[in-house]
Amino acid sequence: MRQLRAALARIAGFFTGHRADDDLQDELQSHLDMETAEYIRRGMQPDEARRQALLMSGGLTQAAEAVRDQRGLPWIDGVVADIRYALRGLRHSRAFTAVVVITLALGIGANTAIFSVVRGVLLKPLPHRDGDRLLYLRQSVDGPGGANIEFSVPEINDFRNGARSLGAIAEFSPYTLTLQGKDDAVRINAGLVTGNFFEVMGLSAVAGRLTGPGDDGPGVPPVMVLTQEFWQRRFNGDTGIIGKQVRLDGTSVTVIGVLQAAPYFPDRADALLNMVISPHHLSAQMVQGRTHRMTEMIARLAPDATVPQARAEVTAVYSRMQRDHQDAYDPGSHYRVAVIPFKEVLGERARLTLWLLMAAAAFVLIISAANVANLTLMRGVQREHELVVRAALGAGVARLRRLLLVENLALTLVGAGFGVLLAIGGVRLLTSLAERYSPRASEIRLDGVVLGYTSALAVALALLLSFLASLPKEGTFASWIAAGMRRISGSLKKQRLQRGLVVVQVAVSVVLLAGAGLLTRTMIQLSNVSTGLRTEQVLTMEVPLIAPATATLADDVDAKQRYQRMQREMQAIHGVIDVGVGSIMPLGTSQIQLEIKAEGRMLAVGEAIPRAEYRTADPLYFSAAGIPLLRGRPFAATDQEGAGRVVIINQALANQFFPGEDPIGKRIAWTGDVLRFTPFSGDWRTVVGVVGNTQDGGLDAEPRPVVFMPFAQELAITGVLVLRADTDVGGLAAAATRVVRGIAPAAPIENVMTVAQIKDQSVSPRRLNAALVSLFGILAVIIAAVGIAGVLAFSVNARTTEIGIRMSLGADSGRVQRMILSEGGVLLAIGLVLGVAGAFLAARLIQGLLFGVAPYDPTTFIGVAILMAAIGIGACWLPALRAARIDPAITMRAL
Amino acid sequence: MADKLDVKQGTLALMILKTLEVLGPLHGYGVGRRIEETSKGRLTLNYGTLYPALLKLEQEGLITAEWRQSENNRRAKYYALTAAGRRRLVREARDWHRTADLIADFLGPRPEMS
Repeated sequence: MRQLRAALARIAGFFTGHRADDDLQDELQSHLDMETAEYIRRGMQPDEARRQALLMSGGLTQAAEAVRDQRGLPWIDGVVADIRYALRGLRHSRAFTAVVVITLALGIGANTAIFSVVRGVLLKPLPHRDGDRLLYLRQSVDGPGGANIEFSVPEINDFRNGARSLGAIAEFSPYTLTLQGKDDAVRINAGLVTGNFFEVMGLSAVAGRLTGPGDDGPGVPPVMVLTQEFWQRRFNGDTGIIGKQVRLDGTSVTVIGVLQAAPYFPDRADALLNMVISPHHLSAQMVQGRTHRMTEMIARLAPDATVPQARAEVTAVYSRMQRDHQDAYDPGSHYRVAVIPFKEVLGERARLTLWLLMAAAAFVLIISAANVANLTLMRGVQREHELVVRAALGAGVARLRRLLLVENLALTLVGAGFGVLLAIGGVRLLTSLAERYSPRASEIRLDGVVLGYTSALAVALALLLSFLASLPKEGTFASWIAAGMRRISGSLKKQRLQRGLVVVQVAVSVVLLAGAGLLTRTMIQLSNVSTGLRTEQVLTMEVPLIAPATATLADDVDAKQRYQRMQREMQAIHGVIDVGVGSIMPLGTSQIQLEIKAEGRMLAVGEAIPRAEYRTADPLYFSAAGIPLLRGRPFAATDQEGAGRVVIINQALANQFFPGEDPIGKRIAWTGDVLRFTPFSGDWRTVVGVVGNTQDGGLDAEPRPVVFMPFAQELAITGVLVLRADTDVGGLAAAATRVVRGIAPAAPIENVMTVAQIKDQSVSPRRLNAALVSLFGILAVIIAAVGIAGVLAFSVNARTTEIGIRMSLGADSGRVQRMILSEGGVLLAIGLVLGVAGAFLAARLIQGLLFGVAPYDPTTFIGVAILMAAIGIGACWLPALRAARIDPAITMRAL
Repeated sequence: MADKLDVKQGTLALMILKTLEVLGPLHGYGVGRRIEETSKGRLTLNYGTLYPALLKLEQEGLITAEWRQSENNRRAKYYALTAAGRRRLVREARDWHRTADLIADFLGPRPEMS
């Protein structure tokens, strides 16, 4: 109670200090007066009495100070004074403050921005209920396109029945539908899901309802759940749409609800529907065909089950499956299943890139901090005089330390403030990068946690800086003063610390530069990769005219006629050279990959069953796309429905099937159990041509074997128009779109892109990567250069007298210059050696991000070392020149 | 000159409270004089010791302060014991006596002062 009352009184005293001060002065004065009067009464002269009274008081100021300490909160008073003092001091050394704040702002800003991305994409808890219990299962085989071959329904059912630790399993089939609007049509990416999908995923509706088990199976009405983004984009977030019917592929579907915002997974989807929309998904083929793999699988761990248990069980069930159905699992292809926690799989493509950037940003911060530490140390030396005076006036070491801390906090917090401003811009840029790697990019926020991280960073830096400065032990100030207040330090110990920091800066800069160099070379190598096409003046547009699930033969005939009309009309556009039609755009990849065989060719022992992409092309497709014909002939108008079955293969397949032979005239055929579920026949077909490989699916992708079928002989499942022009083909997009609109007013038109744009899609994330790391590298080098120059300048300053003496004893300015240069050169050399060693390690870690350049690329490493050495020597030169200009006469006189 | 003693925190508070009990409301100068006289010159109180102690007692609500005219027509700040202060004094004095007796018994006969 008493303590509380006293504490309250003190807090009140803290605020009413000024009034109480006057009161106290009066009281002390009255005391003094009474005492003086007493001495006079005893017979002293008034002056003497007053002197005696003052003597006895022990000092009025000291008394007032003691009372003030008792009255208010002296600690806060002190801190407020310190802050005022610190700010005044920083205002007076503007250059120092500016350099430190800018350095810190860059370091902290980079860290804040990248941390907010790392957090949003990798660390934040998932929006799914108990998201850490969600598992994704992935089936893979060897070879291009085999990383994820999805599951068949029988396989999923085996896991349902066999793996108890997977509490519930939901299915998701990617599916494309055309949504017919009032006056347009769009293709939407949908997911066909089982009724338990949302329950398993732990997601809820923001409006309406989600699908449930009652929506499974045939005989139920088709319903659709919109994702929030699509709902906003297409329906302007109007809840009135719920309960309404929309036309999807010609079928009426009821919109039942809107899903909460969540990462798109397993696939990007605008809407999720029950299976009934696609009769095929409920057919016996689909439900019983073990090789008919087109379903993604999500599982929620059973209560009490753990991920390792689930892994063990899945492995056991899977090997039993492979034993029981040997025909469905070709041993040469190495079928395997991975069980991956959700958070991991959602971040898997972004992880390496983001940690790389995080590490680069951390390096920049280390260099910044080292620089600030050096600046602070140097300033500390210049301030020794001031600190000694303060100590003489009664400030203890703790008090001085507190002053330093307050000063450094002011610096780091202001730096952090500007850093956050930088980060706000940076986050926007980084989000566009993250979108290419992660479905969680929309969760990136500069939120409270990130700001907390930033503040923690600032405070930690301030603490580090404050305790780096060495203050003398309590009670040794006297010796400082006795030393005549000349510079006491320049002490070797402090210089050793500064030099150590310079070495660190150089080393870290080298690591960053090496990373930047490797990534920049990767990007250059990648953009120099030939697409395999003869020209970039190619425009593509995807115009699907029929819905594969419901199309009739008559629809197909009609669609083909319309494509021909489009071709004819586009051909008439000024500047167009060729117009072709095919199923897949040049440099694109097809989802349809089938097993294939060549007549008379036996599989080698242990060889995986060959697979190839299925595509179609019309007679003009290759010349329009600029795909070179290496042998044989292109398709001809005579390769019609009912004519001889012919195919054109690409170089990759030709090399695989007919190495050293002429493939023309050889016969190949689709094969495998899965053909039963497709419209593709396994008839033998004669190879009439071989075309060159193209960089399908990215400039860094392996060429995949491809089989082109005549467009006229196959179902027109998709239709891509390809235009080649003599000049600027991008300018023809509008005219080409008008042609399509005239012939198919309601058809969706998608992927209107030039080949240059397609190519850029695979280069641009790398370009951003390389640009960011290079930016960090350049920053690091600049900061490090400032650091080297600063430390040497300080050293020259501290050794002015010594240099003066040397010069007066006959050392010429060249010699002095060399002395300072070699002082810096040693630091530079040590830093370079350590940096190159560190860069070798770092390069191994980022190997996965490199393309066309070895992690130990000698050109990069030598270049980086030379660059760093050149900049470092340049930074040493300035202080060396200054040392050489020291006038011995002046320095000697100052002694 | 006799050894000067340092006044221990708490001890000084007790002396102040006792002084105010004996003499009634009194200004800081009077309290100081009284304590020095009672100590027979073994204690001197400078302002920096006395006034923080007075303020502390005031903050704890054991004494009150008020500006008044002094006997010889000066304005001075007078301190007076509150009821809480009186209770505290009784308790502290009792505790002090007990401690002093115990220590005295413990240390045995008083050594000669040099």
